[in-house]
Amino acid sequence: MWLTIYYIFCYLVFAYTIMLLVGYVWLVFMSRLAQRQLDVNLPDDETIKYLMQGSPLTPAVSIIAPAFNEEVTIIDSVNSIMQIDYPDYEIIIVNDESTDRTLELLIEEYKLVEVPYDIAMRVQSKPIKRVLKSTDERYSKLIVVDKVHGGRKADGSNAGINVCSNKYFVCTDVDCIIEPMALYRMMWFVINSHKPMIGVGATMLMSNGCIVEDGKVAEAAVPNTPIPMFQQLEYLRSFLISKLGWSRINALPNISGGFGLFDTDVAVKSGGYDPMSMAEDVDMLLRMVTYMKNSGQDFQLALVPKVCCWTEGPGSLKQLVRQRTRWARGLFEIVSNHRKLFFNPHYGPIGSLTLPYLFLFEFIAPLFEMTGFLFMIWLTLTGGVNWSAALLIFGMIYIFSVFISFFVMYFDYKLKAVQWKHTKSSYFKLLVATLLEPFIYHPIITYCSIVGYWRFIINTTAVWTPIQRKGVKKR
Amino acid sequence: MGTISFIKYYISLLTAYCKFLFTFVLYKFADYPNEIKFAAFVSALCVMIIIVMLLSIFWMSWLEKRKRRLREHIEKKFAKGMEYIVSSQASKLMTEKEIAQAFDLDKEDLQGPLLRNNREKRMFVEVFYMYFISKRSELSRTENTHVMLQLFDIPDYLEKEVSLGSMKHKVNALSYMRTFKLPISPWVINKLLNSRYMRVQRLAMYSTIMSSSDSALDYFETDFFDNNCCIKDEIELGFSLQRRRKLGLKLPNLARWAHIQSNEKTQCMFVRLMRRFNEIEYCGQLKDLYNQTKKKKLIEEISRTWGYLHYLDCEDLLIEALLTQPDDTKVAIMHAMTRLATGKSLNALLDGFKNTTNPHVRYEALRCIYNYGEEGRALFNELEQNASEADKKFFTFFHNPITLEKIRLDKEQAYHPSVETVFNG
Repeated sequence: MWLTIYYIFCYLVFAYTIMLLVGYVWLVFMSRLAQRQLDVNLPDDETIKYLMQGSPLTPAVSIIAPAFNEEVTIIDSVNSIMQIDYPDYEIIIVNDESTDRTLELLIEEYKLVEVPYDIAMRVQSKPIKRVLKSTDERYSKLIVVDKVHGGRKADGSNAGINVCSNKYFVCTDVDCIIEPMALYRMMWFVINSHKPMIGVGATMLMSNGCIVEDGKVAEAAVPNTPIPMFQQLEYLRSFLISKLGWSRINALPNISGGFGLFDTDVAVKSGGYDPMSMAEDVDMLLRMVTYMKNSGQDFQLALVPKVCCWTEGPGSLKQLVRQRTRWARGLFEIVSNHRKLFFNPHYGPIGSLTLPYLFLFEFIAPLFEMTGFLFMIWLTLTGGVNWSAALLIFGMIYIFSVFISFFVMYFDYKLKAVQWKHTKSSYFKLLVATLLEPFIYHPIITYCSIVGYWRFIINTTAVWTPIQRKGVKKR
Repeated sequence: MGTISFIKYYISLLTAYCKFLFTFVLYKFADYPNEIKFAAFVSALCVMIIIVMLLSIFWMSWLEKRKRRLREHIEKKFAKGMEYIVSSQASKLMTEKEIAQAFDLDKEDLQGPLLRNNREKRMFVEVFYMYFISKRSELSRTENTHVMLQLFDIPDYLEKEVSLGSMKHKVNALSYMRTFKLPISPWVINKLLNSRYMRVQRLAMYSTIMSSSDSALDYFETDFFDNNCCIKDEIELGFSLQRRRKLGLKLPNLARWAHIQSNEKTQCMFVRLMRRFNEIEYCGQLKDLYNQTKKKKLIEEISRTWGYLHYLDCEDLLIEALLTQPDDTKVAIMHAMTRLATGKSLNALLDGFKNTTNPHVRYEALRCIYNYGEEGRALFNELEQNASEADKKFFTFFHNPITLEKIRLDKEQAYHPSVETVFNG
């Protein structure tokens, strides 16, 4: 009987591996198709700007950035956001009752005064205490919202949604560095869409290792330290292969909370961000999709393959483990809360393809890997390993992972997703990360996933600890 | 060794390597179980694709370098002339000779072709396009641009690209021609109108609308867009109509097109275009549509258009509609009444303020009364004096200097700038 179980398990793992490989190849193929389409449909930045900047039809956008205890960086960050090149936008900074001088600094720097407001609480958030605007014409785009402490970014974002007056809003972190052309790039997809565009994602990369000048990334580079270097590769793979591939069939599963554009009406009607969720960005997008499908409306989701935003990621192993454990917990939450959507053709390609993929190859994969690893140890101890066969299969998996990461570099080069300062050295670092990732980085991520799942199951209280920022290099 | 033979040599090497790899896998693992054969096959395939990708990265990098060199060469040689053509210095009509002088071209240069091949021509157009969209002065003349492009034999090249090039080159060439306002031969247009790509079809159609006589304007006599209309279409169509107006050609009957289309989005687009191009003569034709339709957005757009175009005959219809329409639509109707400001609709606005519980509509009604000339301001003051505690919050907006700025209907006014400022082109 044990032998039967053994064979069944072996074949199950083998079948799962084949399915996983096929899944990846399919995504690469989809991503390539999306690129071919973008080759024709996505012009360069200058052309986009030329067509949109003078047109009265260019839709207005609100940029929402919640801030809590950001006194060190707040002025630089707001100045950086103000450098965005777009004809019609407003910036909403939501102060989540900071205990430091964040609000005072904003008031002093931008000459803010209180203005009357009558805001309908369209989505759930802690009460707004006051709304401030600048008396200086130069800062007329800036709105500062002072609200009761909510403790989560989602609560601040919701308060921003309540204040925003435009059809589209972008949610970002106050410490993100936004590319000046980011809004043009995102709105290009909106003005070209025949169906209502409910969300546009943008490629986000790590700012660790980059050099910043006047609030803009002047020199893009792959970080030199190992943890951020692996993450850079992971981000590129996630955006240029996975998300771009899914966007080809209008089945984008996630628009990053770091920088994503949404239709305000649809976001409001689907309830905005959930302040209790650990993956509030995926959660809101899935609720938006559910709302659109249940109300019988067609919709479109898109991804900008060019880098639009830079964020500082965890620089140490401890911070990485903390972040990824939280993400894994968020994934479990999504699987549990939105289970109705999984394998449900009513929700289109998202329900019938993306979410099953997410469940089978992202949610279950760490469990399979961990089981496989323990099984391998047991087989080694009992002498049941055919080493030549095992090595060959291991070699196949390794070569395949390298092959997928190679596609990332190939796509990046083809799309000009990132304007690297030194292309050769950047690619060399990415190549090193590609070769080492399966041995060093991947086991850490698997471990974090298992811990995250376990914490969700035993229901420990989730604590949102912000990443300790080292700050980026400035010139 | 030439480039082609060099590439051929490497392709043959790669093919030989692939053959070797697969033969190796086939014979080496012939006696192994299927799982092992599969693993070996996948590994070999991955290795091959990695090699191909590496080679293509090198190839792309080489192409890029070559392109960069060519760009530098073109910029070095022609940048001065290009800058001159798009600057305000070229505000008078120039002859071919003067343009040649601006480009520092000798008689000898003019005897042969100035650009040697299509690659150079493509790069020349790309570089000039960048100058055109980023540095062009309002005073520069389109005619000069045309003469200059003719001198470099660009129109013929672009037409060839449009008719024979790949999808990407077709779209790019069409966009260049539209931006430079170059005429396109009817036979090319006809060919493109039958293209299987919607994007090419539409670009061709807009190009026709831009410059041809009335007979070419029958595209929207059928339900053309059929749900596939986007903001970009409106921008392109607006660009074409604007160009038509500059050339002194008659604009089509946009109200009629709004009637014919069945999709609400498309109907709204034509009504908005009427507003942008001050097409007041067809405003009356929208009355039937206004009475018949139940589409909220369309009613909003028509009301706004009547307001902006100051079409006084519609005021009774607006007053009537204010009683029956839902809250969202009411706001647009009230704004239209304020723009007409004949004095007839002030009471309707007051009713609008009193007969609703929706704070947004109440605020907008108050805003309209405030902006409704002297009569409106008197009524506003009266309302303020008699305001209840709950209503007082509305009035605080009218006393704060920052929010007061937003109270004027400026933001919507920006939606209707003069025709000449709509597009840079």
